[in-house]
Amino acid sequence: MTAQEVRLCGLLLREHFGEVVEKVGRHLIRSGAQNLRTLLHETGISIDLVKKSLCVLVQHGVCVFSSGRKGPGSPTEYRTSCDRILRILRYPRYIYTAKTLYGDTGELIIEELLQRGDMTMSSTVKTVADRLTQNMEEGRSMDYSEVSSAFSKLVETHFLQRCPPMAAAATKNGAASATPATPATPGTPAAPVSTTLPTPESFPDCYRVPHVTLIGKGKRRLSNEDGEDQRSAKRAKIDSETHGDEGIYWQVNFERFHLHFRDQAIISAVANKLDQTSSEIVRTMLRMSEVTTSPTATCTKPLSANEIFRSLPSSYNIARPILDQYLTLLVDDPMEFVGKAGESGGGMYVVNLHRALANLARATLESVVQERFGSRSARIFRLLLRKRHLEQKQVEDFAMIPAKEAKDMLYTLLSQNLVQLQEIPKTPDYAPSRTFYLYTVNQLPTARMLLQNCYKTVANLIERRLFESKESKRLLEKSQRIEAILASLQASGAEPEQLTEVEEMITAPEKQQLESLRLHINKLDSAENQVDETIFLLESYINSTVTS
Amino acid sequence: MADVKVKKETNLSEPAEVENRIKELCQQFPHGITDQVIQNDMPHLEPQQRAMAINKLLSLGQLDLLRNSSGLLYRMKDIQSTSKMKGSDNQEKLVYQIIEDAGNKGIWSRDIRFKSNLPLTEINKILKSLESKKLIKAVKSVAASKKKVYMLYNLQPDRSVTGGAWYSDQDFESEFVEVLNQQCFKFLQSKAEAARDSKQSPMVQRNSSFATSHEVWKYICELGISKVDLSMDDIETILNTLIYDGKVEMTVIAAKEGTVGSVDGQMKLYRGVNPVIQPTGLVRTPCGLCPVFDDCHDGGEISPSNCIYMTEWLDF
Repeated sequence: MTAQEVRLCGLLLREHFGEVVEKVGRHLIRSGAQNLRTLLHETGISIDLVKKSLCVLVQHGVCVFSSGRKGPGSPTEYRTSCDRILRILRYPRYIYTAKTLYGDTGELIIEELLQRGDMTMSSTVKTVADRLTQNMEEGRSMDYSEVSSAFSKLVETHFLQRCPPMAAAATKNGAASATPATPATPGTPAAPVSTTLPTPESFPDCYRVPHVTLIGKGKRRLSNEDGEDQRSAKRAKIDSETHGDEGIYWQVNFERFHLHFRDQAIISAVANKLDQTSSEIVRTMLRMSEVTTSPTATCTKPLSANEIFRSLPSSYNIARPILDQYLTLLVDDPMEFVGKAGESGGGMYVVNLHRALANLARATLESVVQERFGSRSARIFRLLLRKRHLEQKQVEDFAMIPAKEAKDMLYTLLSQNLVQLQEIPKTPDYAPSRTFYLYTVNQLPTARMLLQNCYKTVANLIERRLFESKESKRLLEKSQRIEAILASLQASGAEPEQLTEVEEMITAPEKQQLESLRLHINKLDSAENQVDETIFLLESYINSTVTS
Repeated sequence: MADVKVKKETNLSEPAEVENRIKELCQQFPHGITDQVIQNDMPHLEPQQRAMAINKLLSLGQLDLLRNSSGLLYRMKDIQSTSKMKGSDNQEKLVYQIIEDAGNKGIWSRDIRFKSNLPLTEINKILKSLESKKLIKAVKSVAASKKKVYMLYNLQPDRSVTGGAWYSDQDFESEFVEVLNQQCFKFLQSKAEAARDSKQSPMVQRNSSFATSHEVWKYICELGISKVDLSMDDIETILNTLIYDGKVEMTVIAAKEGTVGSVDGQMKLYRGVNPVIQPTGLVRTPCGLCPVFDDCHDGGEISPSNCIYMTEWLDF
């Protein structure tokens, strides 16, 4: 929980849930596990608001509660972690991935689940069908079965998972202070005494689609129901029908999406470095090991060349010997994406996941140094990465850069902490004239430092975006009013002159300002997503080194 | 043995005779004679007379005084070198000797002072006169630009002093290095592209995109952009910088002894490569490149709300 992470989490919470939730969330991040009484006391917010914010946080899986440290009788404690909140930054990427894999239906399912935190299958299917019907032409509507099949597909490929089910009801009733109770609470975690919370995957039914009776079509919302619907959208829709899956709530499986992103990164790196066919081969290998490899594995399970040959997409009809050649080339490549694990079955090949991540992280570091300090500094940086420890003179000689400039660049990199100095004394007193000074680069600490910089950057971008919209608040309100007037005039069938009159209430420079504001905000948004890609690479690399 | 060996009685009191005798001895033993040898030869020579004779020969420059582990050695000097030193006095001869011993690495004036124990002003005077006689020359060292090393006039300075092919007149030729860098890269890149376009099987493609260091060396020599002769090692250092730029990768393969360009049974192959990732997301934002990144806080002098870099970037 570094300062930058806390700041970023605060901004994300504020944007998505509001200021009260932000305050509570921030407090929880900073102070670790706390019970309701302490929370009330330290944030100074009224108890209703605190309870409601905790509801919101728990609903989205951001906050988990467990019974207190002192044993079963003590008040429940709430705790939250930064990681979960930082995922919010990645929501657009998840939705986009679902869209590319499963079309609009998949996209809307994921979107609904991300917005609500968790929902039952039936309610998801209904809502998504309604939304899809809304966008279709008149007379057509979306069948529930289509949406259900998309949902099942998502579950089969593990993109969705069940929330951990409720444990003994005693835990819930035995809580001394008021446990937030809402109609859609996900299950409490398991046994009261355990301090670690079970992961959703430890339950055997995690990926089993329940038998749901869902027959019908999506309903199209008429325009005069808009106002009503918006008001009641916040309240859980009380459905009179039951569909046989009460109490089974589904959430988005972020880890699975992360594995998918990681695979994508490796495939595109192979495509850049080698060629399209090699990347297809690697894609096939990764697809085959999707469900057999654990998320923290160093490399995939060995696959024989025969299997790979059979599973290649039919559009790529390459001959068997050519495939062998490609595999050999992949193994020989210095980047070591693919390794050979044995000779049976025509050669057993694995994809080296951790090494690929390390190489990608290294390329990221190098590109940051290159863009920030120039290609000669990048040369020195890469040189130090390869040769580990070098003296000043050796750096100049290897990099073929004049002494003065090399010295300057090294000192700049040193001041930015991208390069470290190692002293090796010749004598017990560290006399400078009798000590070796070696320059070195440590990949892991540098990656962590850059990750913090990324967090700060995203926080800066969000702040700038909020600032820009605040500056033009008056203008935005005016344009919104005008749009509302226009819409109502159009609905009641006004004449074109009235419309143009209303439109002219916004002057041309104001229109331009609005336009530039829109461009700015789009740019800032897309920049956030781009920095998030870097964050993802660095985070995966750092996590892979922790577990190995 | 009845006959008594009749030795040519030399008049031992004549110093010239002594000197001649010593010279003959020296010629007999070209590696040098010790005091002991002279004494054995002329047993009735008094040490004082011997010393005088030896000093005379030394001052005439016909004898070299050397020291080895067992004592002093006297050696015949070349006629050639003696003529050179005519007209110089002892001190100059001493300094000259020291410089000669330094070979082609040269020697610094302070070191001359240490070895000869002469005061600095004397040394400078001597060095100037030797230079004017064109017996020695001063060469500026590339490691420390103010230092001057002295060496014999007709010697080539050693590589470590001048810096080799990359230095001309003590200046590192960065443009030259850059030009070579680019040329090598272009050569390797075009080779890789040609291999890719040939659409053969991938193994053949990859192998044909490799170039040995010998090929690159030949290409650069034929290009003729270098005034200085470059060796294969020089080209390899240039190729190494390309590796550190991330544009080229290298492998080593075993080669038969005797194939062109192989060194110790190995050959280095170089190949142009593409970068693995595009410039990463962080550097596409102004914050990734900002020089005052660490000073930026909300509500501070430099903050995201009033960042001028962001304003420029947004209006771009």
